[in-house]
Amino acid sequence: MRFTITRQNLNEGLTAVSASISTKTTLPILSNILFRAAEEGVLEMSGTDLDVSVRLRVPAQVDEPGTLTAPGKKLLEIAKELPDEPVQVQTRADQIELRCGRAHFKLNGLPAEDFPALPSVSFDGGWTASGKDLLSLIRHTSFAVSTEETRPVLNGVLWELRDGEMRMVATNGHRLARMRIPAGPSLETTAQLIVPPAALQQVQRLFNAEDELRVSRDGNHLGFRSERTEVYTRLIDGTYPNYEQVIPKDNDRFALVERKPLESAIRRVAAVASDQTHRIRLQFGNDRVELNVLTPDLGEAHDEIPVSWEGDGLEIGFNANYLLEVLRYVGTDEVKLGFKAPERAATVEPVHAEDAPGMDYLCLVMPLRLVD
Amino acid sequence: MKRTIQILPDAVANQIAAGEVVERPASVVKELVENALDAGAGRIEVRIEGGGKRRIRVSDDGHGMGREDALLSLDRHATSKIRLAEDLRGVLTFGFRGEALPSIASVSRLTLETSPRDGLPGTRIRVKGGRITGVEEMARQPGTTMTVEGLFFNAPARARFLRAPAAEARAVSEALSPLTLANPGVAFDLVSDERTLLELPAVSELRARIAQLWGDEVAAGMIAVEGEAGGIRLEGWLQRPDLTRPGFRRAALFVEGRPFREAALLKAADRGYRTTIPREHRPWLVLTLRVPKGVVDVNVHPTKAEVRFRDRGGIEQLIERAVRRSLEQEGSAATLDRPTLPASMERPSSERPPAERSPTSSPAVVREPEAQMALFLSGAPTEDSDSESTRPETPAAEEAPETPRLWQVHSAWIVAEVRDGLLLIDQHAAHERILFEQIMERFERGGAESQRLLFPLTIRLTRAEYEMVMDMRGLLQRTGFEVEGFGGDTIIVHAVPAPHPRFDAERCLREMIEELTHGSELMRAATSQHERVAMSFACKAAVKAGDPLDDREIQELFDQLFGTELPFHDVHGRPTTVRLSRTELERKFGR
Repeated sequence: MRFTITRQNLNEGLTAVSASISTKTTLPILSNILFRAAEEGVLEMSGTDLDVSVRLRVPAQVDEPGTLTAPGKKLLEIAKELPDEPVQVQTRADQIELRCGRAHFKLNGLPAEDFPALPSVSFDGGWTASGKDLLSLIRHTSFAVSTEETRPVLNGVLWELRDGEMRMVATNGHRLARMRIPAGPSLETTAQLIVPPAALQQVQRLFNAEDELRVSRDGNHLGFRSERTEVYTRLIDGTYPNYEQVIPKDNDRFALVERKPLESAIRRVAAVASDQTHRIRLQFGNDRVELNVLTPDLGEAHDEIPVSWEGDGLEIGFNANYLLEVLRYVGTDEVKLGFKAPERAATVEPVHAEDAPGMDYLCLVMPLRLVD
Repeated sequence: MKRTIQILPDAVANQIAAGEVVERPASVVKELVENALDAGAGRIEVRIEGGGKRRIRVSDDGHGMGREDALLSLDRHATSKIRLAEDLRGVLTFGFRGEALPSIASVSRLTLETSPRDGLPGTRIRVKGGRITGVEEMARQPGTTMTVEGLFFNAPARARFLRAPAAEARAVSEALSPLTLANPGVAFDLVSDERTLLELPAVSELRARIAQLWGDEVAAGMIAVEGEAGGIRLEGWLQRPDLTRPGFRRAALFVEGRPFREAALLKAADRGYRTTIPREHRPWLVLTLRVPKGVVDVNVHPTKAEVRFRDRGGIEQLIERAVRRSLEQEGSAATLDRPTLPASMERPSSERPPAERSPTSSPAVVREPEAQMALFLSGAPTEDSDSESTRPETPAAEEAPETPRLWQVHSAWIVAEVRDGLLLIDQHAAHERILFEQIMERFERGGAESQRLLFPLTIRLTRAEYEMVMDMRGLLQRTGFEVEGFGGDTIIVHAVPAPHPRFDAERCLREMIEELTHGSELMRAATSQHERVAMSFACKAAVKAGDPLDDREIQELFDQLFGTELPFHDVHGRPTTVRLSRTELERKFGR
């Protein structure tokens, strides 16, 4: 294999791919990047940690087709510091040689045959999603996934395509985030996918809002593809719990509240909350919410901020961190909180200006109760 | 009609009494040594031949006796130690019943040589089978020597029950040990057929005697215990929990210098160790009690192995609490250091005057709970650190931060830099201790926090597990698990505790149910249902080895650990913390 590539292209490719390879691996080949020069003018670079794989195509002048794997991190370190001159790359047996200006490197690689095959996902039956929509869905939901090992389906983000909508849902059983985006008339596919958050992270990292992505499911794998970039991931098996069922429909007490003051009040009083459960109590009444914390052996805190409240008074406990997290993603200046009872799920939703409808976003937070 | 009831001649009465007091050579040695101690001896030599069957000789340098006293001492109920029945309350000397010497004399050939301190001539009395066969004057240093030969020569039935000389010699040594521990200020020698079994110079403190008797390593691995309640003082030494082993145990209890056996008090000490050592471990210990008059009755048994306390429950409580308090101290933590005794104690000898005793070698039990933290604050003013931390040429002391620096290593341990070296903390063990104490407190005071679940957990159980869960629902609820029966051996969990961010509620509950239903080593160690649930929860819910913790979590874990009652021990009886002192580090690097 022999090709010539600009330093920028080499660097870009290596940066994109090397973030997908695992640093802690027992298989040496997984810390390598696969180079493949097959077509005229294109160099392919691939990396995988066996769960998520990334492939990037960058322009290069291919003089002699071929394949080889070489250590990703080392190449990246070198590429970062090379002068802005064309880089000539050549393989000799299992060695890769780089020349750039007067700099000259030889690195030991491994044969391409040993590199794990990337999932073959056919994009014929896929669908198209806008990068903007996809990134927004991921950003607003993937924070809520569970890390508990006993319920693997909750370790993933549910991605649903139906009724002309794209939805993403994530939960750890304590709080839940759901976002819906109209997908336009072109979307005819129906799908229910449970996607590992690590893959979605790569999607966030490697695709832009302007990209039009082709997405396709093939068996147990999912692929994302733009002109230059491909991301593949294993899907999580199993049935996602019926989240629609737990979204309360009968909440009858509501608070409209300024988000920023609420966030800072929660942060203030939570300083005194238990470091383990972060429990704070909210007491909603006529025109204000009182925030109270009482932690034995530490102390207590009290604060209050104005709300517009509708319904009977209510006192309810929460893990402050869950509330803060959800408020951060809701994003609007004003938020709407809905309640039914102190042991029932609370809803948090953005409040949009009437003339500017925004995203369809809903979070649930389960209360933290004191058992006596 | 012929009279059938007669008053026994003295010699027969003595022989019967001998049956109670004198069983074997060891009991003779014990009686004679006790007499020597009562006589204020500073040095006691015991020589036995043929395991004591052939000959026993006990010599002391005590105050001795004049001729009249010496003769009287051989009469039954002749005693110098009490005069009236009222004196019986508050007897603090070893012998007082006046039974021992006549009893021994009645079953052996006994020679009593004694000389009082006031310069009067010495006396030698020979007795055979209880009959005095000769009394003569002799020259002798002040003190008394008792020679007992041919034990049970006139009671062949008893002689036959004696064992081989080696076994009897061992028994003599075992009988002597507690007396030597009770009297570290007295020098002891035990020679059996020309072989020295014990050679114990007088020392100024108990720990030094423990070192002589049980070895330096054992003594160095002991921590001081101290306590007081209702005028009763407790002092002594306990084995550090991480050094305890199952099986063979040495334990000595003394009241007013008198060894005694009392299983209930040892049990109380073991209770004090609870959760700091595995259940089957037997800590070695020496406990001495000082009591006001009237609190103890020693007049229970002729061999005085048992004593009766007026308020045994109170003493058990005193022991349990004092033991527990010592185990709260940093000194009870496991250490990587080579066990060493305080320098001032390494060569205890009879020549060392008590005044030379170093203050650092006396039991230094810190009582204030704040003192625990003081160990970690580099500049904290404690008596022995003052001089060092203010020395300007010690850069470490100047730069050392207010709170210890902490690192997590291998996602399993936390290393803390403390004033006196390093602490290595096992994150799982430490969190176990924290959670255990939290849950136990919640059981008392209530206030568990419980995270409601969006998707209740459904868990299928076996019949036995299901029944256990239903029985213990209340306790489980107070740990934060809100459980409901669903029928068909299935439970629904609506709410779960949230002890840390990586907590896996379902796994924790399943493991707890398994353990609580089918038992485990840990469950057998628990003494109540509450403790069982708390231990199981602590063990299953604690952060695991392999969980990476962020800086805040590390700091929290550290702070919470040292806020617990027993920060150095987890609930399985393993250490949470291993110490590595600066001194040891310096030694390892040849500094």
